[in-house]
Amino acid sequence: MKYGIRNMNTALASLSNLKQSKLARWGAVAIACLSAAYFLTPVLLNKVAEGLIREDRLVKSDVIVALGGDSRCNREKRAAELWRQGWADNVVVSGINYPWGFHTGEAARRYVMSQGVPEEKISMICETLNTRAEARALDDLMRERGWNSAIIVTSAFHSRRAMYTVEGAAPGRSFCSSPVPTGSPEWTPHAWWSRRDDVYVTVREFGSWANTLVGGWQ
Amino acid sequence: MINLRKRWARRVLISLGLLAAGCVALFFTLPALLIAPASVAKSDVILYGAISKHSAADKYVIDLYRRGVARKIVCVGSQVSWELYPGDYVRDGLVSQGVNAEDVISLRLPLAPCGGAQLPRIVEFVKARGWKSALYVTHPEDSRYTDNLARGFFEREGVALTVSYSPEDMEELTRGWWRTHWKTQRMVGEAMIIILDRFYSECR
Repeated sequence: MKYGIRNMNTALASLSNLKQSKLARWGAVAIACLSAAYFLTPVLLNKVAEGLIREDRLVKSDVIVALGGDSRCNREKRAAELWRQGWADNVVVSGINYPWGFHTGEAARRYVMSQGVPEEKISMICETLNTRAEARALDDLMRERGWNSAIIVTSAFHSRRAMYTVEGAAPGRSFCSSPVPTGSPEWTPHAWWSRRDDVYVTVREFGSWANTLVGGWQ
Repeated sequence: MINLRKRWARRVLISLGLLAAGCVALFFTLPALLIAPASVAKSDVILYGAISKHSAADKYVIDLYRRGVARKIVCVGSQVSWELYPGDYVRDGLVSQGVNAEDVISLRLPLAPCGGAQLPRIVEFVKARGWKSALYVTHPEDSRYTDNLARGFFEREGVALTVSYSPEDMEELTRGWWRTHWKTQRMVGEAMIIILDRFYSECR
């Protein structure tokens, strides 16, 4: 009887030890996972944002295209810079018409001219409310002018999607991407979640990618 | 073991299904969540902030002005391209439609990461002219958020604020909005702005 009780006590003790060691193991796994998440999440988020950027080796082309939608005109500034360096003979700007009689493309044209590009070298594509509309308008213009290659200038966060869309809309032509350099006030992939304007742009860009890939809203 | 796996797989699938259904329901309730009832009160000034490609709020603002809701109009906006401030053109448009030139002002705001960061400048402008009440005409999808956010800023400075929008804009925006790119973009964009602003002190 005494022997039996002692055996039972030993069994209970080892069971409790087992439970404790299981708990300790789970605890260690949880701490390891949380630490990994804490240290790896910023790295992953940075990588994901860097994935939005596409920058190609520059090739001399027929035209430099500054895509629309940059109220600071940094895309146009970059396009004018590339034109001055002789990467292409022509520049295309893009914009939309507002009901009050002004056109953002016209303002972009004036800005490019102020950067030294002659008026006759600048063309404009209009009513480009989104990247897909812009890509179609650009394809039409390139066909009309007999241009076969273009350097696409846009903001860094938009560069990969813009190239995907433009290349999809004009499969026979060659394009290369030369985005606006990152760094304040422009979008910057490093620690983008810490800046309100960058976080909005990044999250919206992922949404736009999803929409582009599934061929959703046009 | 296999039964346990099946049970877990079923639970995960049900959870994902419920989450997807919730997201779809939330998507279709966006207009109800974002658009507040428009309210109009006699004010010292109309702050005209509904300036965008798809806005037709001019008629509404002119109607408010003619009805004597406010004697002054301020067209508020940031640049959309190089030295291009839409407020300047909107001001000219209002004048050409019969509003007295001395009653319309264009307020040029610097580019900011969010609307909340611009509100102190607008309040400062309103206070500097001694106005005690303002009627903010904004985009319909921005109305509830502006009402919540801007009212606080204005009232702290002793300026009463009412938020309204053009009924035509609202009708146009909500008509088949989930089928149109720019309408969906504006609804979803506004929802994103509201969520993101919570995390950044300069926007609250």
